[in-house]
Amino acid sequence: MSVALGIDLGTTNSVAAIATPTGVEFILGARGERVHPSVIAFPASGGVVVGTDAKRYRLSEPQHVVHSAKRFIGQNTRAPLVQLALTGVRYNVVEGPNQQPIVVVRDRRMTMPEISSHVLLHLKRAAERQLGTPVKDAVITVPANFTDGQRQATREAGRLAGLDVMRLINEPTAAALAYGFGQDREQMIAVFDFGGGTFDVSILQLDGEVFEVLASEGDFFLGGDDLDRALAENLASELHRISRVDPRPHAALMMKLMMGAEQIKMYLSDSEAAEGEIEGLDLPGGRVSTLPFSVTRAQFEAMIAGYVERTMAVTRQVLVAANIDPRMISDVLCVGGSTRIPMVRQQLAEIFRREPNISINPDEVVAQGAAIQAGSLTGDLTSGTGMGARDAVATAGHSPLARGTITLPEITAKRPVLLDVNPATLAIHTAGGFTERLLDKNAPIPIERSRVFTTSRDNQTRVEIDCCRGESRRYTDNEPLGTLLLDDLPPRPRGDLQIEVQFRVDADGILHVRASDLASGQQQEAHLQVLGAPVAPAGPASGVPDDKP
Amino acid sequence: MSARSDVLLWAQRVIGRKDATACQILDIPAGSGLDAAQQAFHKIARMAHPDLHRRTLTADELELVTTAYARAAAAYQELRGQRTVTTRIRAIPGVPAAVPPTTQAIPTAPPSIKAIAVPEEPGHAPNKMGSKALIYYRKAELALRRGDLPGAVLQLKMAIASDPQSQFLRSALAEVEAEVARKP
Repeated sequence: MSVALGIDLGTTNSVAAIATPTGVEFILGARGERVHPSVIAFPASGGVVVGTDAKRYRLSEPQHVVHSAKRFIGQNTRAPLVQLALTGVRYNVVEGPNQQPIVVVRDRRMTMPEISSHVLLHLKRAAERQLGTPVKDAVITVPANFTDGQRQATREAGRLAGLDVMRLINEPTAAALAYGFGQDREQMIAVFDFGGGTFDVSILQLDGEVFEVLASEGDFFLGGDDLDRALAENLASELHRISRVDPRPHAALMMKLMMGAEQIKMYLSDSEAAEGEIEGLDLPGGRVSTLPFSVTRAQFEAMIAGYVERTMAVTRQVLVAANIDPRMISDVLCVGGSTRIPMVRQQLAEIFRREPNISINPDEVVAQGAAIQAGSLTGDLTSGTGMGARDAVATAGHSPLARGTITLPEITAKRPVLLDVNPATLAIHTAGGFTERLLDKNAPIPIERSRVFTTSRDNQTRVEIDCCRGESRRYTDNEPLGTLLLDDLPPRPRGDLQIEVQFRVDADGILHVRASDLASGQQQEAHLQVLGAPVAPAGPASGVPDDKP
Repeated sequence: MSARSDVLLWAQRVIGRKDATACQILDIPAGSGLDAAQQAFHKIARMAHPDLHRRTLTADELELVTTAYARAAAAYQELRGQRTVTTRIRAIPGVPAAVPPTTQAIPTAPPSIKAIAVPEEPGHAPNKMGSKALIYYRKAELALRRGDLPGAVLQLKMAIASDPQSQFLRSALAEVEAEVARKP
């Protein structure tokens, strides 16, 4: 029997789970923890340390500890937001081939998929230990607004970890699945996913076992990390004032302030004020200082108000995109640790005119949904109860799978059907610098559309089509995806050739483009190498071939 | 077993009819509303979503079903994109529109920097419509943009009177009349 893992690969933390007949079972770390920090350390003693154990190296050797890798995976190093985010990390990142970011630690050069594969491998091994069986298949979640390049890079990370990634699913969709699976109800829900590094909001319609995403919006550079940094900057100014040393250029010192800020933030979710001191701040020159702090919830809210307002603006935008009145929403799911902040919940309640649902665990619900989808894809999922978010239990100690006492029945009906959406409009360059939209943002996936092209000059043997993603009507305002090149066309009078170009976004949200000459029926694969995407491996499993024509 | 052959038959039917309209692919009457389109698409998803068949079909069969499903998704999106009556009439392929397209990316003007488009639906070739009919048709489009449904019906009838052969105009009229019937 095969076991398929559902993995929430997060910016700060990752969670893995599997669907069992008795409910969703979480994969536990060495200390029994369900939540595994997405932190990878390369200590002086050699080797690679991942998860909770890696966190303790953050203070002693911050430049050898990689965290928040999700912010850079599949990104173009030259993008302004990436440059900004790079100022917030203490490890060394350089530009590699195809403008992808490369981490340099102790003279080792690693791509972001390689970095993330360490987290995935850590989870895979933990699962194999816990279940006593090899684990190969997996469903990995990604933010709904992840681009083509980011999705390809995440798949690549799975492949490097020895996983067969059956599907990438969007985090809000996974949360909705965990919430609604087995309920068999008709309702419309909103999922507000404010995690460590990314933000998404999706509107879904639940129609029995069909989960249809009506619209999704997000910002993949907005998360709890930003809130921590806002508070840490304030603490840094305070330390500067007291000790007359500016801590900002010092990696270890800033890391300590960030960790302190994270704890203060979490404390302020339950209390009106936080008071105390951050100890053991090693100032340059061998001095050790202590920073006393006193932050009220109101002060903290003032620091993060801009970020929270941005999430609410996106939420209002998605309601418009889905053409939905907020009163039609029957439940608002809060996903991601940042939704614990009272200010976020209050403002959400104002928009939807109802209190958001707090009965689900915002850290674990995404992995639960991924596990359900993984079980559904392998066919090992029992329909019915015991799988939804409310009933989820960690049954590690008494895992029926581990003991091998239960054979799962073959499932016949009522497997969940996820109708996810295309994250951004895909268009081509047309005359006058404009775009023609081929596949709309928020269109259901998998989706396919073709257009027929012809040549504009006599004996033209080559046609180029520039592709981009983005919502602007002007080509240059969008993100270029690459140029589709049709070469070696037979010389004919203009208008004589008919070339069908087919755009398909697959169920993982990855674009595939195929072109064929209608007259000769000859297939010609045209390739789009998305900038920032990993240089894809050989083999049919990869999304887009790597050889640029 | 029967579910397997059902879905394969359905996929072959969808792929076999390349010139089918969105409503035909979803198997609903022309001019159906958004709710009907959604119900029809959910029905297709329950039967034919590729995820449901990844273990029971061969790779080739799965590709066939995926392609058919992806086209049904495009059909659903086409109907969903036409939320306003303005865009409900299909643009005449190959002829520049009288007004810039508003929401939906139905190809109107050929993209022509390095390549130009060929009309997608030869059955509706615009040249087959008389120039007088085309003028009335443009007036109908403008009436629709104002939300003037009776005006659009009148202009379309005038267009049909000038060119009684055009199937395109007749289907356009049917769509607008269906829209009138839906409005209170």
